[in-house]
Amino acid sequence: MNAHTKDLFKKLQPLIALAVMALALTLLSDKFLTVANQRNILLQISVNLCLSIGMTLIILTGGIDLSVGAMLGLAGAVAAGLLKNGLALKVCGVVLQFTPLGGMVAGILVGLALGWFNGMAITRFKLPPFVATLGMLSIARGLTMLLTGGFPITDLGPAFGFIGAGFWLGVPMAVLISAALVLIFYIVSRHTTLGRYIYAVGGNEKASAFSGVNVNRIKLWVYALGGGLAAVAGLLVTARLDAADPKAGLGYELDSIAAVVIGGTSLSGGRGSILGTVLGCLIIGVLNNGLFLLDVSPFWQQVVKGLVILAAVAADKLGTRRE
Amino acid sequence: MRAVRWFIALAILAGLGWRWPLFHVVTLKSATAAKAAATYNPGQFAETFWASHLPATLAQAVPSATLLPLLQSDPAAAKKQFSRSVGVSDSYFYCLSGRGRVVAITDEAVIVAVIDGNSNAVVALQTGLVFGDAVRDGPGWLNASDYPNSQDFNDLSAALNHLVETRVLPPLRAQAKLGATIAFAGCAAVEDEAADLKPLKVIPLQIGTP
Repeated sequence: MNAHTKDLFKKLQPLIALAVMALALTLLSDKFLTVANQRNILLQISVNLCLSIGMTLIILTGGIDLSVGAMLGLAGAVAAGLLKNGLALKVCGVVLQFTPLGGMVAGILVGLALGWFNGMAITRFKLPPFVATLGMLSIARGLTMLLTGGFPITDLGPAFGFIGAGFWLGVPMAVLISAALVLIFYIVSRHTTLGRYIYAVGGNEKASAFSGVNVNRIKLWVYALGGGLAAVAGLLVTARLDAADPKAGLGYELDSIAAVVIGGTSLSGGRGSILGTVLGCLIIGVLNNGLFLLDVSPFWQQVVKGLVILAAVAADKLGTRRE
Repeated sequence: MRAVRWFIALAILAGLGWRWPLFHVVTLKSATAAKAAATYNPGQFAETFWASHLPATLAQAVPSATLLPLLQSDPAAAKKQFSRSVGVSDSYFYCLSGRGRVVAITDEAVIVAVIDGNSNAVVALQTGLVFGDAVRDGPGWLNASDYPNSQDFNDLSAALNHLVETRVLPPLRAQAKLGATIAFAGCAAVEDEAADLKPLKVIPLQIGTP
Protein backbone atom coordinates (compact mmCIF):
# COMPACT_ATOMS: atom_id res chain seq x y z
CA MET A 1 0.00 0.00 0.00
CA ASN A 2 1.62 3.31 -1.07
CA ALA A 3 1.60 6.48 1.01
CA HIS A 4 -1.23 8.08 -0.97
CA THR A 5 -3.51 5.05 -0.53
CA LYS A 6 -2.67 4.89 3.18
CA ASP A 7 -3.49 8.57 3.57
CA LEU A 8 -6.77 8.14 1.70
CA PHE A 9 -7.69 5.10 3.78
CA LYS A 10 -6.98 7.03 6.98
CA LYS A 11 -9.18 9.92 5.86
CA LEU A 12 -11.98 7.56 4.90
CA GLN A 13 -11.78 5.52 8.12
CA PRO A 14 -14.75 7.26 9.83
CA LEU A 15 -16.85 6.96 6.67
CA ILE A 16 -16.06 3.25 6.35
CA ALA A 17 -16.89 2.71 10.04
CA LEU A 18 -20.21 4.50 9.58
CA ALA A 19 -21.09 2.50 6.47
CA VAL A 20 -20.27 -0.81 8.20
CA MET A 21 -22.39 0.14 11.23
CA ALA A 22 -25.32 1.24 9.06
CA LEU A 23 -25.16 -1.98 7.06
CA ALA A 24 -25.03 -4.15 10.18
CA LEU A 25 -27.94 -2.30 11.79
CA THR A 26 -30.02 -2.52 8.61
CA LEU A 27 -29.62 -6.29 8.74
CA LEU A 28 -30.24 -6.56 12.48
CA SER A 29 -33.22 -4.20 12.90
CA ASP A 30 -36.15 -3.59 10.56
CA LYS A 31 -36.72 -0.19 12.16
CA PHE A 32 -33.26 1.25 11.50
CA LEU A 33 -33.82 2.34 7.91
CA THR A 34 -37.29 3.81 8.45
CA VAL A 35 -37.69 7.51 7.67
CA ALA A 36 -38.88 8.21 11.22
CA ASN A 37 -35.78 6.60 12.70
CA GLN A 38 -33.38 8.35 10.33
CA ARG A 39 -35.02 11.65 11.18
CA ASN A 40 -34.74 10.76 14.84
CA ILE A 41 -30.99 10.12 14.48
CA LEU A 42 -30.48 13.47 12.71
CA LEU A 43 -32.49 15.25 15.40
CA GLN A 44 -30.51 13.61 18.16
CA ILE A 45 -27.12 14.40 16.67
CA SER A 46 -28.02 18.01 15.90
CA VAL A 47 -27.26 19.08 19.48
CA ASN A 48 -23.99 17.17 19.64
CA LEU A 49 -23.09 18.57 16.24
CA CYS A 50 -23.38 22.17 17.47
CA LEU A 51 -21.20 21.35 20.48
CA SER A 52 -18.72 19.38 18.42
CA ILE A 53 -18.16 22.09 15.82
CA GLY A 54 -16.93 24.39 18.61
CA MET A 55 -15.00 21.55 20.22
CA THR A 56 -13.29 20.80 16.88
CA LEU A 57 -12.04 24.39 16.60
CA ILE A 58 -10.81 24.27 20.20
CA ILE A 59 -9.08 20.91 19.82
CA LEU A 60 -7.55 22.06 16.53
CA THR A 61 -5.72 24.76 18.51
CA GLY A 62 -4.47 22.06 20.90
CA GLY A 63 -6.96 22.92 23.65
CA ILE A 64 -9.95 21.23 25.21
CA ASP A 65 -13.22 22.49 26.71
CA LEU A 66 -14.84 20.44 29.44
CA SER A 67 -17.49 23.07 30.16
CA VAL A 68 -19.55 22.93 26.95
CA GLY A 69 -22.27 20.77 28.54
CA ALA A 70 -22.56 23.11 31.52
CA MET A 71 -22.61 26.20 29.25
CA LEU A 72 -25.35 24.52 27.22
CA GLY A 73 -27.42 24.13 30.38
CA LEU A 74 -26.85 27.71 31.55
CA ALA A 75 -27.57 29.29 28.15
CA GLY A 76 -30.82 27.33 27.90
CA ALA A 77 -31.80 28.31 31.43
CA VAL A 78 -31.06 32.00 30.81
CA ALA A 79 -33.08 32.02 27.58
CA ALA A 80 -35.97 30.13 29.18
CA GLY A 81 -35.91 32.22 32.35
CA LEU A 82 -36.00 35.51 30.45
CA LEU A 83 -38.69 34.23 28.11
CA LYS A 84 -40.89 32.79 30.84
CA ASN A 85 -40.42 35.28 33.65
CA GLY A 86 -38.84 38.28 31.98
CA LEU A 87 -36.45 40.51 33.82
CA ALA A 88 -38.22 42.31 36.64
CA LEU A 89 -37.01 45.82 37.42
CA LYS A 90 -38.93 46.19 40.66
CA VAL A 91 -37.58 49.67 41.37
CA CYS A 92 -39.20 50.93 38.17
CA GLY A 93 -42.29 48.72 38.57
CA VAL A 94 -41.78 47.19 35.13
CA VAL A 95 -40.81 43.86 33.62
CA LEU A 96 -38.69 43.43 30.49
CA GLN A 97 -40.75 40.71 28.82
CA PHE A 98 -38.37 39.00 26.41
CA THR A 99 -39.51 37.86 22.99
CA PRO A 100 -38.36 34.40 21.76
CA LEU A 101 -35.70 36.15 19.67
CA GLY A 102 -34.60 38.17 22.71
CA GLY A 103 -34.31 35.01 24.81
CA MET A 104 -32.22 33.34 22.12
CA VAL A 105 -29.92 36.34 21.71
CA ALA A 106 -29.46 36.52 25.50
CA GLY A 107 -28.66 32.80 25.66
CA ILE A 108 -26.08 33.05 22.88
CA LEU A 109 -24.51 36.13 24.49
CA VAL A 110 -24.17 34.20 27.74
CA GLY A 111 -22.46 31.35 25.89
CA LEU A 112 -20.09 33.74 24.10
CA ALA A 113 -19.27 35.48 27.40
CA LEU A 114 -18.54 32.21 29.22
CA GLY A 115 -16.41 30.99 26.32
CA TRP A 116 -14.56 34.31 26.28
CA PHE A 117 -13.97 33.92 30.03
CA ASN A 118 -12.48 30.47 29.36
CA GLY A 119 -10.25 31.99 26.71
CA MET A 120 -9.13 34.76 29.07
CA ALA A 121 -8.27 32.26 31.81
CA ILE A 122 -6.21 30.23 29.36
CA THR A 123 -4.44 33.04 27.52
CA ARG A 124 -4.03 35.77 30.15
CA PHE A 125 -3.68 33.69 33.30
CA LYS A 126 -1.95 30.79 31.52
CA LEU A 127 -4.18 28.18 33.11
CA PRO A 128 -4.15 24.78 31.38
CA PRO A 129 -7.34 24.45 29.28
CA PHE A 130 -8.29 21.32 31.22
CA VAL A 131 -8.24 23.20 34.55
CA ALA A 132 -9.77 26.46 33.30
CA THR A 133 -12.72 24.76 31.64
CA LEU A 134 -13.17 22.34 34.55
CA GLY A 135 -13.60 25.42 36.74
CA MET A 136 -16.10 26.87 34.26
CA LEU A 137 -18.00 23.58 34.28
CA SER A 138 -18.56 23.95 38.00
CA ILE A 139 -19.36 27.70 37.78
CA ALA A 140 -21.90 27.25 34.99
CA ARG A 141 -23.59 24.29 36.68
CA GLY A 142 -23.86 26.25 39.92
CA LEU A 143 -25.27 29.32 38.15
CA THR A 144 -27.81 27.14 36.35
CA MET A 145 -28.99 25.70 39.66
CA LEU A 146 -29.18 29.18 41.20
CA LEU A 147 -31.15 30.50 38.24
CA THR A 148 -33.64 27.63 38.06
CA GLY A 149 -33.80 26.75 41.76
CA GLY A 150 -33.18 23.15 40.67
CA PHE A 151 -36.51 22.91 38.84
CA PRO A 152 -37.19 22.89 35.09
CA ILE A 153 -38.53 26.09 33.51
CA THR A 154 -41.38 24.91 31.28
CA ASP A 155 -44.05 26.22 28.88
CA LEU A 156 -41.90 28.41 26.69
CA GLY A 157 -44.39 28.68 23.87
CA PRO A 158 -44.59 27.47 20.27
CA ALA A 159 -42.57 30.33 18.78
CA PHE A 160 -39.52 29.40 20.84
CA GLY A 161 -40.20 25.68 20.48
CA PHE A 162 -40.16 26.01 16.69
CA ILE A 163 -36.35 25.98 16.47
CA GLY A 164 -36.16 22.70 18.36
CA ALA A 165 -39.37 20.90 17.43
CA GLY A 166 -40.55 22.66 14.27
CA PHE A 167 -40.13 21.69 10.63
CA TRP A 168 -39.31 23.65 7.51
CA LEU A 169 -39.92 21.97 4.15
CA GLY A 170 -40.35 18.69 6.01
CA VAL A 171 -36.93 18.90 7.68
CA PRO A 172 -36.60 19.46 11.45
CA MET A 173 -35.42 23.00 12.20
CA ALA A 174 -32.76 21.69 14.60
CA VAL A 175 -31.23 19.69 11.75
CA LEU A 176 -31.34 22.70 9.43
CA ILE A 177 -29.70 24.93 12.02
CA SER A 178 -26.91 22.47 12.74
CA ALA A 179 -26.40 21.90 9.00
CA ALA A 180 -26.12 25.66 8.46
CA LEU A 181 -23.55 25.88 11.26
CA VAL A 182 -21.56 23.03 9.70
CA LEU A 183 -21.50 24.88 6.39
CA ILE A 184 -20.50 28.20 7.98
CA PHE A 185 -17.73 26.71 10.11
CA TYR A 186 -16.49 24.50 7.30
CA ILE A 187 -15.98 27.66 5.25
CA VAL A 188 -14.45 29.48 8.23
CA SER A 189 -12.01 26.66 8.92
CA ARG A 190 -11.00 26.07 5.30
CA HIS A 191 -11.30 29.38 3.49
CA THR A 192 -10.63 32.20 5.96
CA THR A 193 -7.60 33.64 7.66
CA LEU A 194 -9.02 32.71 11.05
CA GLY A 195 -9.32 29.08 9.94
CA ARG A 196 -5.74 28.95 8.69
CA TYR A 197 -4.51 30.52 11.93
CA ILE A 198 -6.45 27.96 13.99
CA TYR A 199 -4.66 25.11 12.20
CA ALA A 200 -1.35 26.96 12.47
CA VAL A 201 -1.68 27.56 16.22
CA GLY A 202 -2.56 23.90 16.81
CA GLY A 203 0.20 22.65 14.53
CA ASN A 204 2.98 24.67 16.10
CA GLU A 205 2.11 27.44 18.53
CA LYS A 206 5.61 28.89 18.81
CA ALA A 207 6.19 28.94 15.07
CA SER A 208 2.82 30.65 14.60
CA ALA A 209 3.71 33.31 17.19
CA PHE A 210 7.09 33.91 15.47
CA SER A 211 5.24 34.22 12.16
CA GLY A 212 3.20 37.09 13.54
CA VAL A 213 0.01 35.26 14.43
CA ASN A 214 -1.64 36.67 17.55
CA VAL A 215 -1.98 33.28 19.24
CA ASN A 216 -3.86 34.58 22.27
CA ARG A 217 -6.44 36.36 20.16
CA ILE A 218 -7.03 33.26 18.05
CA LYS A 219 -7.53 31.18 21.21
CA LEU A 220 -9.89 33.79 22.66
CA TRP A 221 -11.95 33.70 19.47
CA VAL A 222 -12.01 29.93 19.43
CA TYR A 223 -13.13 29.52 23.04
CA ALA A 224 -15.74 32.28 22.66
CA LEU A 225 -17.09 30.58 19.53
CA GLY A 226 -17.11 27.26 21.40
CA GLY A 227 -19.22 28.90 24.12
CA GLY A 228 -21.54 30.49 21.56
CA LEU A 229 -22.07 27.17 19.78
CA ALA A 230 -22.70 25.43 23.12
CA ALA A 231 -25.35 28.09 23.75
CA VAL A 232 -26.99 27.36 20.38
CA ALA A 233 -27.03 23.68 21.35
CA GLY A 234 -28.62 24.70 24.66
CA LEU A 235 -31.32 26.63 22.84
CA LEU A 236 -32.07 23.62 20.62
CA VAL A 237 -32.37 21.30 23.63
CA THR A 238 -34.52 23.77 25.54
CA ALA A 239 -36.76 24.47 22.56
CA ARG A 240 -37.18 20.78 21.75
CA LEU A 241 -38.19 19.88 25.30
CA ASP A 242 -40.09 23.14 25.75
CA ALA A 243 -38.29 23.24 29.08
CA ALA A 244 -34.94 24.29 30.49
CA ASP A 245 -33.76 21.37 32.56
CA PRO A 246 -31.18 22.38 35.19
CA LYS A 247 -29.33 19.14 34.46
CA ALA A 248 -29.38 19.62 30.68
CA GLY A 249 -26.07 18.87 29.00
CA LEU A 250 -24.74 16.69 31.79
CA GLY A 251 -21.93 14.60 30.25
CA TYR A 252 -22.44 16.08 26.78
CA GLU A 253 -18.82 17.25 26.70
CA LEU A 254 -17.72 13.61 26.57
CA ASP A 255 -19.93 12.83 23.56
CA SER A 256 -18.67 15.98 21.92
CA ILE A 257 -14.98 15.17 22.48
CA ALA A 258 -15.66 11.59 21.36
CA ALA A 259 -17.29 12.79 18.12
CA VAL A 260 -14.33 15.07 17.36
CA VAL A 261 -11.75 12.35 18.05
CA ILE A 262 -13.67 9.67 16.17
CA GLY A 263 -13.94 12.11 13.28
CA GLY A 264 -10.17 12.11 12.98
CA THR A 265 -9.20 15.35 14.73
CA SER A 266 -5.93 14.95 16.60
CA LEU A 267 -6.08 15.69 20.33
CA SER A 268 -2.66 17.33 20.03
CA GLY A 269 -4.07 19.89 17.59
CA GLY A 270 -3.37 21.03 14.05
CA ARG A 271 -5.04 18.10 12.26
CA GLY A 272 -8.70 17.41 11.66
CA SER A 273 -11.76 18.85 9.98
CA ILE A 274 -15.35 19.89 10.54
CA LEU A 275 -16.56 17.27 8.06
CA GLY A 276 -14.71 14.57 10.02
CA THR A 277 -16.53 15.77 13.13
CA VAL A 278 -19.86 15.48 11.30
CA LEU A 279 -19.00 11.85 10.59
CA GLY A 280 -17.96 11.39 14.22
CA CYS A 281 -21.32 12.72 15.37
CA LEU A 282 -23.12 10.44 12.93
CA ILE A 283 -21.14 7.43 14.18
CA ILE A 284 -22.01 8.20 17.80
CA GLY A 285 -25.65 8.93 16.90
CA VAL A 286 -26.01 5.72 14.87
CA LEU A 287 -24.24 3.76 17.61
CA ASN A 288 -26.59 5.11 20.31
CA ASN A 289 -29.63 4.51 18.13
CA GLY A 290 -28.51 1.04 17.05
CA LEU A 291 -27.79 -0.13 20.58
CA PHE A 292 -31.20 1.16 21.64
CA LEU A 293 -32.98 -0.57 18.75
CA LEU A 294 -31.17 -3.81 19.55
CA ASP A 295 -32.36 -3.48 23.14
CA VAL A 296 -28.84 -3.43 24.55
CA SER A 297 -28.69 -2.46 28.23
CA PRO A 298 -27.81 1.24 28.78
CA PHE A 299 -24.87 0.09 30.91
CA TRP A 300 -23.46 -1.91 28.01
CA GLN A 301 -24.11 1.05 25.73
CA GLN A 302 -21.68 3.12 27.80
CA VAL A 303 -19.09 0.35 27.67
CA VAL A 304 -19.39 0.03 23.89
CA LYS A 305 -19.15 3.80 23.39
CA GLY A 306 -16.03 3.92 25.57
CA LEU A 307 -14.43 1.12 23.55
CA VAL A 308 -15.20 2.91 20.27
CA ILE A 309 -13.56 6.11 21.57
CA LEU A 310 -10.49 4.17 22.75
CA ALA A 311 -10.23 2.47 19.37
CA ALA A 312 -10.47 5.81 17.55
CA VAL A 313 -7.76 7.45 19.67
CA ALA A 314 -5.55 4.36 19.42
CA ALA A 315 -5.91 4.38 15.63
CA ASP A 316 -5.00 8.08 15.56
CA LYS A 317 -1.93 7.57 17.77
CA LEU A 318 -0.80 4.57 15.75
CA GLY A 319 -1.13 6.52 12.52
CA THR A 320 0.78 9.49 13.94
CA ARG A 321 3.60 7.24 15.20
CA ARG A 322 3.97 5.58 11.78
CA GLU A 323 4.10 8.96 10.06
CA MET B 1 -13.60 56.93 10.49
CA ARG B 2 -13.77 54.49 13.39
CA ALA B 3 -16.52 56.57 15.02
CA VAL B 4 -18.53 56.52 11.79
CA ARG B 5 -18.27 52.71 11.63
CA TRP B 6 -19.48 52.44 15.20
CA PHE B 7 -22.33 54.81 14.45
CA ILE B 8 -23.40 52.78 11.41
CA ALA B 9 -23.20 49.50 13.37
CA LEU B 10 -25.30 50.95 16.20
CA ALA B 11 -27.82 52.37 13.74
CA ILE B 12 -28.19 48.94 12.08
CA LEU B 13 -28.60 47.25 15.47
CA ALA B 14 -31.21 49.83 16.50
CA GLY B 15 -33.11 49.26 13.24
CA LEU B 16 -33.07 45.50 13.71
CA GLY B 17 -34.17 45.90 17.32
CA TRP B 18 -37.06 48.13 16.24
CA ARG B 19 -38.16 45.66 13.53
CA TRP B 20 -37.65 42.54 15.64
CA PRO B 21 -37.72 43.66 19.27
CA LEU B 22 -35.81 41.61 21.82
CA PHE B 23 -38.16 42.53 24.66
CA HIS B 24 -41.23 44.57 25.54
CA VAL B 25 -41.57 46.72 28.63
CA VAL B 26 -44.72 45.88 30.58
CA THR B 27 -45.87 46.89 34.03
CA LEU B 28 -45.22 44.44 36.85
CA LYS B 29 -48.95 44.19 37.57
CA SER B 30 -50.04 43.27 34.04
CA ALA B 31 -47.13 40.80 33.67
CA THR B 32 -48.25 38.96 36.82
CA ALA B 33 -51.85 38.82 35.58
CA ALA B 34 -50.84 37.54 32.13
CA LYS B 35 -48.67 34.83 33.67
CA ALA B 36 -51.53 33.54 35.81
CA ALA B 37 -53.86 33.42 32.78
CA ALA B 38 -51.39 31.50 30.62
CA THR B 39 -50.82 28.60 32.99
CA TYR B 40 -51.41 25.24 31.26
CA ASN B 41 -54.25 23.23 32.74
CA PRO B 42 -54.02 19.59 31.61
CA GLY B 43 -57.33 18.67 33.25
CA GLN B 44 -59.23 21.31 31.31
CA PHE B 45 -57.43 20.39 28.10
CA ALA B 46 -58.23 16.68 28.57
CA GLU B 47 -61.87 17.53 29.25
CA THR B 48 -62.23 19.47 26.01
CA PHE B 49 -60.34 16.84 24.11
CA TRP B 50 -62.41 14.00 25.52
CA ALA B 51 -65.65 15.72 24.51
CA SER B 52 -64.54 16.58 20.98
CA HIS B 53 -62.56 13.46 19.97
CA LEU B 54 -64.10 10.51 21.80
CA PRO B 55 -67.00 9.84 19.37
CA ALA B 56 -64.68 9.71 16.34
CA THR B 57 -62.28 7.43 18.21
CA LEU B 58 -65.02 5.01 19.17
CA ALA B 59 -66.35 4.99 15.61
CA GLN B 60 -62.93 3.83 14.37
CA ALA B 61 -62.45 1.09 16.99
CA VAL B 62 -61.93 -2.39 15.52
CA PRO B 63 -64.88 -4.75 16.17
CA SER B 64 -63.87 -7.33 18.74
CA ALA B 65 -65.43 -10.02 16.53
CA THR B 66 -62.75 -9.17 13.95
CA LEU B 67 -59.77 -8.53 16.19
CA LEU B 68 -59.99 -11.20 18.87
CA PRO B 69 -60.21 -14.31 16.65
CA LEU B 70 -57.25 -13.02 14.63
CA LEU B 71 -55.33 -12.32 17.85
CA GLN B 72 -55.90 -15.94 18.86
CA SER B 73 -55.00 -17.47 15.50
CA ASP B 74 -52.31 -15.12 14.20
CA PRO B 75 -51.14 -12.41 16.65
CA ALA B 76 -48.51 -11.13 14.21
CA ALA B 77 -51.14 -10.52 11.52
CA ALA B 78 -53.42 -8.84 14.06
CA LYS B 79 -50.56 -6.59 15.14
CA LYS B 80 -49.73 -5.68 11.56
CA GLN B 81 -53.33 -4.99 10.56
CA PHE B 82 -54.91 -3.35 13.60
CA SER B 83 -52.28 -2.12 16.06
CA ARG B 84 -50.82 1.33 16.46
CA SER B 85 -47.40 2.14 17.90
CA VAL B 86 -45.66 5.38 18.79
CA GLY B 87 -42.23 6.19 17.35
CA VAL B 88 -39.78 3.29 17.53
CA SER B 89 -41.32 1.87 20.70
CA ASP B 90 -41.76 -1.92 20.86
CA SER B 91 -45.08 -1.64 22.70
CA TYR B 92 -48.26 -1.17 20.69
CA PHE B 93 -51.95 -0.47 21.15
CA TYR B 94 -55.33 -1.79 20.01
CA CYS B 95 -58.62 0.10 20.07
CA LEU B 96 -61.60 -2.21 19.97
CA SER B 97 -65.33 -2.32 20.60
CA GLY B 98 -67.85 -5.09 21.07
CA ARG B 99 -70.36 -6.85 23.28
CA GLY B 100 -69.85 -9.55 25.86
CA ARG B 101 -71.19 -11.44 28.82
CA VAL B 102 -69.63 -10.90 32.24
CA VAL B 103 -68.08 -14.21 33.32
CA ALA B 104 -65.94 -13.10 36.27
CA ILE B 105 -65.33 -10.05 38.42
CA THR B 106 -62.07 -9.40 40.26
CA ASP B 107 -60.76 -6.40 42.22
CA GLU B 108 -58.88 -5.19 39.15
CA ALA B 109 -61.03 -6.22 36.17
CA VAL B 110 -64.33 -7.38 34.78
CA ILE B 111 -63.79 -10.45 32.60
CA VAL B 112 -66.09 -10.46 29.60
CA ALA B 113 -66.65 -13.34 27.16
CA VAL B 114 -67.19 -11.75 23.77
CA ILE B 115 -70.47 -12.82 22.20
CA ASP B 116 -70.03 -11.33 18.73
CA GLY B 117 -68.80 -13.65 15.97
CA ASN B 118 -67.62 -17.21 16.48
CA SER B 119 -64.92 -16.34 18.99
CA ASN B 120 -64.57 -17.89 22.43
CA ALA B 121 -62.24 -15.04 23.41
CA VAL B 122 -62.40 -13.10 26.66
CA VAL B 123 -61.17 -9.61 27.43
CA ALA B 124 -60.37 -8.10 30.81
CA LEU B 125 -61.95 -4.66 31.20
CA GLN B 126 -59.73 -2.90 33.71
CA THR B 127 -61.53 -1.45 36.72
CA GLY B 128 -58.58 -0.51 38.95
CA LEU B 129 -56.44 2.61 38.82
CA VAL B 130 -55.53 3.48 35.25
CA PHE B 131 -51.81 3.74 34.50
CA GLY B 132 -49.81 4.08 31.32
CA ASP B 133 -50.41 5.84 28.04
CA ALA B 134 -52.96 3.58 26.36
CA VAL B 135 -55.76 6.16 26.59
CA ARG B 136 -53.55 8.95 25.24
CA ASP B 137 -51.62 7.02 22.59
CA GLY B 138 -53.94 4.13 21.70
CA PRO B 139 -56.57 6.01 19.69
CA GLY B 140 -53.92 7.98 17.79
CA TRP B 141 -55.74 11.22 18.52
CA LEU B 142 -52.62 12.96 19.78
CA ASN B 143 -49.19 13.35 18.29
CA ALA B 144 -46.26 13.54 20.71
CA SER B 145 -44.37 15.90 18.41
CA ASP B 146 -47.20 18.44 18.78
CA TYR B 147 -46.23 18.63 22.45
CA PRO B 148 -42.60 19.71 22.64
CA ASN B 149 -42.87 19.80 26.43
CA SER B 150 -42.83 16.14 27.45
CA GLN B 151 -44.07 17.04 30.94
CA ASP B 152 -47.25 18.54 29.43
CA PHE B 153 -47.70 15.40 27.35
CA ASN B 154 -47.31 13.20 30.44
CA ASP B 155 -49.69 15.40 32.43
CA LEU B 156 -52.24 15.04 29.64
CA SER B 157 -51.96 11.27 29.88
CA ALA B 158 -52.57 11.41 33.62
CA ALA B 159 -55.58 13.72 33.10
CA LEU B 160 -57.13 11.42 30.48
CA ASN B 161 -56.57 8.40 32.74
CA HIS B 162 -58.30 10.31 35.53
CA LEU B 163 -61.30 10.95 33.25
CA VAL B 164 -61.56 7.19 32.61
CA GLU B 165 -61.35 6.49 36.33
CA THR B 166 -64.10 8.99 37.17
CA ARG B 167 -66.40 8.78 34.12
CA VAL B 168 -66.18 5.22 32.81
CA LEU B 169 -65.15 2.89 35.61
CA PRO B 170 -67.96 3.69 38.12
CA PRO B 171 -70.78 2.77 35.67
CA LEU B 172 -68.83 -0.31 34.58
CA ARG B 173 -68.49 -1.50 38.17
CA ALA B 174 -72.21 -0.82 38.70
CA GLN B 175 -73.30 -2.76 35.58
CA ALA B 176 -70.89 -5.64 36.05
CA LYS B 177 -73.03 -8.46 37.37
CA LEU B 178 -72.23 -12.07 36.56
CA GLY B 179 -74.11 -13.07 33.45
CA ALA B 180 -74.97 -9.49 32.45
CA THR B 181 -74.34 -8.41 28.87
CA ILE B 182 -72.47 -5.15 28.28
CA ALA B 183 -71.23 -3.20 25.32
CA PHE B 184 -67.75 -1.77 25.55
CA ALA B 185 -65.15 0.22 23.64
CA GLY B 186 -61.62 0.80 24.81
CA CYS B 187 -57.91 0.61 24.27
CA ALA B 188 -55.32 -1.99 25.19
CA ALA B 189 -51.56 -1.59 25.50
CA VAL B 190 -49.37 -4.57 24.68
CA GLU B 191 -45.88 -4.41 26.13
CA ASP B 192 -45.33 -8.06 26.98
CA GLU B 193 -47.23 -10.26 24.54
CA ALA B 194 -47.12 -13.31 26.81
CA ALA B 195 -48.75 -11.42 29.67
CA ASP B 196 -50.88 -8.78 27.97
CA LEU B 197 -52.68 -10.85 25.32
CA LYS B 198 -54.07 -13.64 27.50
CA PRO B 199 -56.54 -12.15 28.09
CA LEU B 200 -56.29 -8.77 26.36
CA LYS B 201 -56.38 -6.08 29.05
CA VAL B 202 -58.65 -3.30 27.84
CA ILE B 203 -58.98 0.11 29.41
CA PRO B 204 -62.64 0.98 28.79
CA LEU B 205 -63.47 4.35 27.22
CA GLN B 206 -67.20 3.73 26.92
CA ILE B 207 -69.60 1.28 28.55
CA GLY B 208 -73.23 0.69 27.67
CA THR B 209 -76.01 -1.82 27.49
CA PRO B 210 -76.37 -3.55 24.11
